[in-house]
Formats: sequence, structure tokens, C-alpha cells
Amino acid sequence: SVGRRLLGAARCGAPQTTQRSGANRTEEMRQALEEMRALYERNQADVSEAKSGRTDLIFLIRFRHCCLLRNQRCLLAYLYDRLLRIRALRWEYGSVLPNTIQFHMSAEEVEWFNRYKKSLATYMRSVGGEEGLDLTQDIKPPKSLYIEVRCLKDHGEFEIDDGTTILLKKNSQHFLPRWKCEQLIRQGVLEHVLS
Amino acid sequence: MYSMYQHTLLGAYINAIILLFLQRVLLLVASDVDALCACKILQALFQCDHVQYTLVPVAGWQELETAFLEHKDQFKYFVLINCGANVDLLEILQPEEDTFFFVCDSHRPINVVNVYNDTQIKLLVKQDDDLDVPAYDDIFREEEDEEEDSEDEGDGSEPSEKRRRFEEEVIERTMNRRQRREWEARRREILFDYEQYEYHGTSSAMVMFDLAWIMSKDLNDMLWWAIVGLTDQWVQDKITQMKYVTDIGILQRHVSRHNHRNEDEENSLSIDCMRIAFEYDLRLALYQHWSLYESLCNTSYTSASLKLWSVQGQKRLQEFLADMGLPLKQVKQKFNSMDVSLKENLREMIEESANKFGMKDLRVQTFSIHFGFKNKFSASDIVYATTSLMENIEKEGHETTNFIKALDSLSRGNLDKLHQGLDLAKKQLRAIQQTVASCICTNLVISQGPFLYCSLMEGTPDVKLFSKPVSLCLLSKYLLKSFVCSTKNKRCKLLPLVMAAPMDVEQGTVIMVGIPPETESSDKKNFFGRAFEKAAESTNSRTLHNHFELSIIELKTEDRSKFLDALISLLS
Repeated sequence: SVGRRLLGAARCGAPQTTQRSGANRTEEMRQALEEMRALYERNQADVSEAKSGRTDLIFLIRFRHCCLLRNQRCLLAYLYDRLLRIRALRWEYGSVLPNTIQFHMSAEEVEWFNRYKKSLATYMRSVGGEEGLDLTQDIKPPKSLYIEVRCLKDHGEFEIDDGTTILLKKNSQHFLPRWKCEQLIRQGVLEHVLS
Repeated sequence: MYSMYQHTLLGAYINAIILLFLQRVLLLVASDVDALCACKILQALFQCDHVQYTLVPVAGWQELETAFLEHKDQFKYFVLINCGANVDLLEILQPEEDTFFFVCDSHRPINVVNVYNDTQIKLLVKQDDDLDVPAYDDIFREEEDEEEDSEDEGDGSEPSEKRRRFEEEVIERTMNRRQRREWEARRREILFDYEQYEYHGTSSAMVMFDLAWIMSKDLNDMLWWAIVGLTDQWVQDKITQMKYVTDIGILQRHVSRHNHRNEDEENSLSIDCMRIAFEYDLRLALYQHWSLYESLCNTSYTSASLKLWSVQGQKRLQEFLADMGLPLKQVKQKFNSMDVSLKENLREMIEESANKFGMKDLRVQTFSIHFGFKNKFSASDIVYATTSLMENIEKEGHETTNFIKALDSLSRGNLDKLHQGLDLAKKQLRAIQQTVASCICTNLVISQGPFLYCSLMEGTPDVKLFSKPVSLCLLSKYLLKSFVCSTKNKRCKLLPLVMAAPMDVEQGTVIMVGIPPETESSDKKNFFGRAFEKAAESTNSRTLHNHFELSIIELKTEDRSKFLDALISLLS
């Protein structure tokens, strides 16, 4: 059923992994809602009939109601799963999402993301004294201040906040402060070299 | 005014300190094992002091230029390892005035401009490395005025006096011009003599280790890399026997200093700790990771001395093994599975028998590394493994992927890569020996007069392996050694060798190397670099002199014959 397909999508698809599964399953959602509406209308009709004597319809009504609830659960599960993934995006990509990902998000999801961002920022500012604490850095305890990284693919020029640019060519190795590389490591452009 | 051209290592130390306060450094590293080892040592030093750097591998001059152009806006300090010393860097790269180059290169002769430039180019050279650089005044001259303006024009002097003065001036000017021409002729001669022969100085890895030692930051790991760098020079026949033995002595002192704890039974280190030991080991390639038999067949020294390409040679090998009392079955097994009783005095036994068969140098001074129970490697093992990884033709990846893999294999944590390298090395050595055998048996090595020539045909088995420079050079050296042992022609034994192999079939290019003659007291000086240049110029051949060793070039297959003809007439 449509609900099962939505659950399948929630389980395997992430907004950024593949185009197909990332795309808002608007078609399936519409079908699910359509199905729900159809069920609901039939139930409405049958309820009035049942009230006027046809008690054998009660089971049918009950059954349809269960289907409705199930569809609702599937839809909510799917939407919630998307929300959790979008939340994880903030930790992975930072506060600016690449266009390819934003393309797959609905307007409401973008709105939600912005509000989450704001909420996280407010919290981070409130912790750790005057300057606040950037919780998205050093997610794993760092072993050293500087790390050696290797570029896995041609990424072009990369500008760090202090203005210096680094040319990231495939197989070039760099020795940089950890905080400058973390994001690129998470994105899979750089690889931490352990020797 | 003209400062000492030789920067002492203390100077290099001071420069290294300056590097600490720099923003970032770009490392340009050539593709040979010595460069990789020097790079590892330098990386360790930088990491120790938190110097930010970027590492870019370069395989030739074009890659060097490209990397420089791409990065010159972001970096002011460049370190060149095993590249850049033998050309006029400033001329080629045209850098800004505030760009500095630190060059640690074993290629000699060092270009005179690099030597005498005391601002932008800093050479990392060992103090006792004799550079033999011509004196400054012999090659550089301030631009003097050609015409000495007669300032006395409006002097109101007598016409006859004026004319006399004019004549004097003309005579002076002619003398100056003649002096100048003489000076220029002498300069050309001096430069020609200086640049005629290419050779190699101290291994860059050893120079880097010295730097680490001066900074008191040397570690056993760095010492091992220095050892591997030196051994690479020995395997590739780049340095004389005397230099090798001298450098081994230098490293031996460091090894004792770092590894003396093992001698004391009570305070010895855990078996897992890394330790280096001096060995007077057999000169058999990879023998501890192979079978003794295979190693004897595939090491150039034994194969050439016993003439293993002939039936007689094979018989002699059997006699050799019988003389040592080693049963064939044992010898063909993996070395580690050989009977312990046979392995006990193996080195002395082999040496004794080898002497009877005319192989007096079967043992060589070298070092080995131990860590854990299973891991024991000789320095030459690492050299062969790393070279094979670097020139691996099996997987067609990005051109720098092999470099990175080879660099990784030098770290002790990447034993899987090292073992992969050892397997590739065995294949490479077998391929070399088979190719050598077939070349000798089919008389493919012909004398062209001033040199020997051998060309590999397309379709020869394993010919793809030899489209890579280091592999081709190894093949050429082994071939020359074997040829010298096989030929009866006394004159041919003293000739150098030019070897050609197909490089890229689609583009129709051939790779060509020239190596010096194989003699006991060879000084390893190679004149083919300049010779190739001249021959290419005079015939307008389409050649590419991209390699850092000038004696390795690529050329179009069609131009090969006219190029060779020009080379023959040039060297006759």
C-alpha cells in the first residue's frame, strides 16, 4: 500500500543521498492523503447508515478507521524521519546547506531548519561564557591541534575564515589546524591521515 | 659581498626556525624513494612544530611548473625535494621577489645561478659534500659600459691631442673587447666542464635527518627513513661504493646511539618496539620474503656472475648450491620455512662458496628493522617494495595515487601496503631477469660505436613495466652488468648503454635512458643528459626532457633513428 511505500522511503532514503528518494514523495503523499480522504468519506456515509439500523457495517467502519490511522502513522513517520535527517544536516554541513539539498526540501522544512538553526545558535551562545561554545566542532575528542589530511577529490579552492585559500587537488596532502578541516572531512572531501 | 655559496647546516637550521613563524609552506616532492623518505622526515619535523604545509607530488618539470603556478598566490615558501637544483630555478619559474625556495636535492651539478643566489634560493647541502662550483668571478661579470664616453668633448683641447686621446680610447676599447671575448670563451669552457657530467650527492633523506639531528628532534623512525633513502641510492647505482660505505658509517653511529638498549639483556625493550640493527647481509634481493632459489635467480649480481641465462649457468647454480650443501628442495621453499639448521650460518657459508665462484661481494653492509615477532625487513626490501608501488602499472588511477600509496607504505602502520609492494617487487624483479635473459640470448644489445644500444620491442612480455623511468633504469643497469659478464669483446665491456622502450603506444612515444659504463671503479658520472639535449637540438627531434634526471627522455618513435645517428656522431 502507499503507506508501506512511504515507510520504505523513510527507511532508506535520506534527503541528500539519492535524488529519487530524497525528493519529497509528494506523489505518494498525495496518494496517501487521497486514499485517506476516500476512506473517510465512505466511512462517513456508512456511519449514517449504521446509525439507521445496519449494524453489520460497524466492522467495516472499524476496519476503515484502522486503515486511516495506519496511513496517518505512516505519513507522520515519514515526515518525522525527514525532520530528523534535516536536523542532522545542520551538524554535518553547518548552517549553510548546499543547493542540491535545499532543492529537495519543502518550504516548511526549510522554515523548520532555520528555526532549528536559530534555536541551536541561541543555546550555544548561552553556554561556555562570553563567546559561546561551538558544539558542532570536535564532535569526537581531538587527539591533536593540527592534523594531516589528504584530498580525495579535486575540490578547487577552499577559503578558510582567516582569508587564506588552499587549493584542494586530488592526492595533495595538507597539515592544517583541526578546526579548519573538520567540515571537509565530514563531507568526504578530505581524509584524515593517520601515520 | 659575494657570500659563501655553501649554506652550512646551521644556516639551514636557522632557516628552519624561520619557517616556524611562517604561515604555510608548499612541499614539492619528486617521485623517487629517496625523495619520499626525505619527505617523511620533513613532515614529521613540521608536525612536531605545527608548521602548516601542503604536499604536492611532482613527477617532472612540467608538473613542477604547474604546481608552482597553481600555488604561487597562496604560498611564499617552497621546499623542493630531489628536484630543482640542476636548473636555473628563477629563470624557469619566474617567481616574485618575496618568494623563497629551499632546495634539498641530490642531483648534481647544482646550477651555478642557484648556488650564487643568496636571497631567494637556499640550498640544503651537507658541509662535506664537495660541490666543485666554479669561482664566482669566472662566470659572472658586472655589465660594464661598452663605450667609454669621451667626456672631454667640450674641452677645448688641441685637435692633435684630441686625436691621440681618441686613438688611445679606440685601442683601449678593442683590448677590452678582446679581453671580454677571451673571458667569455673561458667561461663557456668552465661551464661546459662543470655541467657535462651528471651525478648524485648525499641522499636527501640523510640531509633531512641531519637537520633533525641538529634540531635534536631526531627519532628512530626518521633514522630508518634516512637509511632507506641511502639504500635507494645504492640499489639504483647512483653513488660510488666508497660514498655508500662512508655514509653507512655515518648512519651506523646514529643507529648505535638510538638502538643500544637491546644489547643489555636486562633493560632490553619490548619486542614490539621498533629497533634498527646493522647487518652484514647477503646481497640477495628480497631473500627473506621469497625463497633463496628465487632470490639467487633474480638478483642481478648473482644472475650476471653465474650467467644464469645460459644452460651452463643453470648448471653452475646447481653446483653452487651443492657446494654449500643446501638441498634443492629446501632452497626452493619459502625462506622462513627453511630448516633452522641450514639458516644458522647461512651468510658465512654462502660467502665462502661465493668466493669460489667468483662472487667476492656477495655481502653488503646494510641495516634491518624489527618490530613485533613477524616483522623484519631489510632496507633494500623496503626500497624494492616502495619503488614497485610507485611505478605500479596494474591499476590505472590518478597519476599521483601511486605516489601516495608508496608514501603511506613507509609508515609502519601500513604493513598491508608494504606487503603488496613486496609482491609487486617480486614480479618486477622476475620480469627484469627474464627480459635481460632474452635480450642477451637474442643478442639484442648491439654496439653502436661509442655506446651500446638495446631497444625493447612492443609486444615483449612485461614491456609495459618498463615504460616507467625507474624500472627502465633498473633493467638497463642489470642488462649492462649481465652483458659485461657475457661478452668477450674487451672494448664493449667499457661502453655505456642507451636503452629504449615503448612508452605510450597511442601517442607513438618511446622512453630512452642512458647509463654510464659498468666498471669496478666507476664514478657513476653520466654524460647522456647533455648529449641527449644536443642530439635533439641538432636533429629537431620531438623530445620531452621532463624527467628530473636529464639522462631520461621521451621521444617520438619516428625520430628515433635520426636521433640515434646524431648521438653516435656526437659521441664518436
